[in-house]
Amino acid sequence: MDWQGQKCAEMLMQLLLVVSAVAAFLVGYAMADFQLMLLVYAGGVVLTALVTIPNWPFFNRHPLKWLDAAEADRHPRPQVCAATTAGKKKIGKNK
Amino acid sequence: MHTWTQRLLSAATTAAFLLLAACAAASALDAFHAPSVQAQARVTKINRFHKQLNGNDKVMLTFNISANLESLFTWNTKQVFVFLTAEYENSKNSLNQASLWDHIIPDKQHANLHLEVKSKYPLIDQGSSLRGKKVQLVLHWHIMPKAGVMIRDRMPLSEFKLPDVYTS
Repeated sequence: MDWQGQKCAEMLMQLLLVVSAVAAFLVGYAMADFQLMLLVYAGGVVLTALVTIPNWPFFNRHPLKWLDAAEADRHPRPQVCAATTAGKKKIGKNK
Repeated sequence: MHTWTQRLLSAATTAAFLLLAACAAASALDAFHAPSVQAQARVTKINRFHKQLNGNDKVMLTFNISANLESLFTWNTKQVFVFLTAEYENSKNSLNQASLWDHIIPDKQHANLHLEVKSKYPLIDQGSSLRGKKVQLVLHWHIMPKAGVMIRDRMPLSEFKLPDVYTS
């Protein structure tokens, strides 16, 4: 699961659970049936688990693009040059 | 580092928390429920009134109860425990309570009671102060909810006076 997928899964999980809890409460109250509330909520929890727990391909649509090693060799990290620090002693020291 | 077990745990925790919230909400709604109970109880017969060997007064009663407890039931009610007590005052205690009869009502369909019953439990006074005593019948009920705290209430019903002499 990529970074976008993790964020998406987390938000989806919370949203689905809150929606199913609210829906279950309203249905249970309207039908005056406590057991029905529990059943509706249990259904919502199972659905949420199925949607957000497995690593669906849906969560892997933004793969990280790593540079390959050859590319990194071609552009080495700039080194701090001795000549430039000599001219600006104080800044060089602070660095 | 984001595995399915982490997602399972976070979903389970959130689900449990929301279930708790739903139960708390259901329980809180009961606080706004104002039941209106209609009940009557009347002693129809004093079967036996005597002094036991240990010196305590003992009365066996028959009484009529009609009580409509349907309004106690909400969607969050598991059952209602209803019991009838005799309450009286004597020189020893300012309040004596003795349970005479009790009943468990499992659902609303059985909440309209019209009964003529013998007292399930005898009225026994610790002492012998019952002769000529005025006794108050009180109906108590405990509402046991599916989620939340038990609600108790009571309703004083009729008074009756015990005879001045033992029957046997």
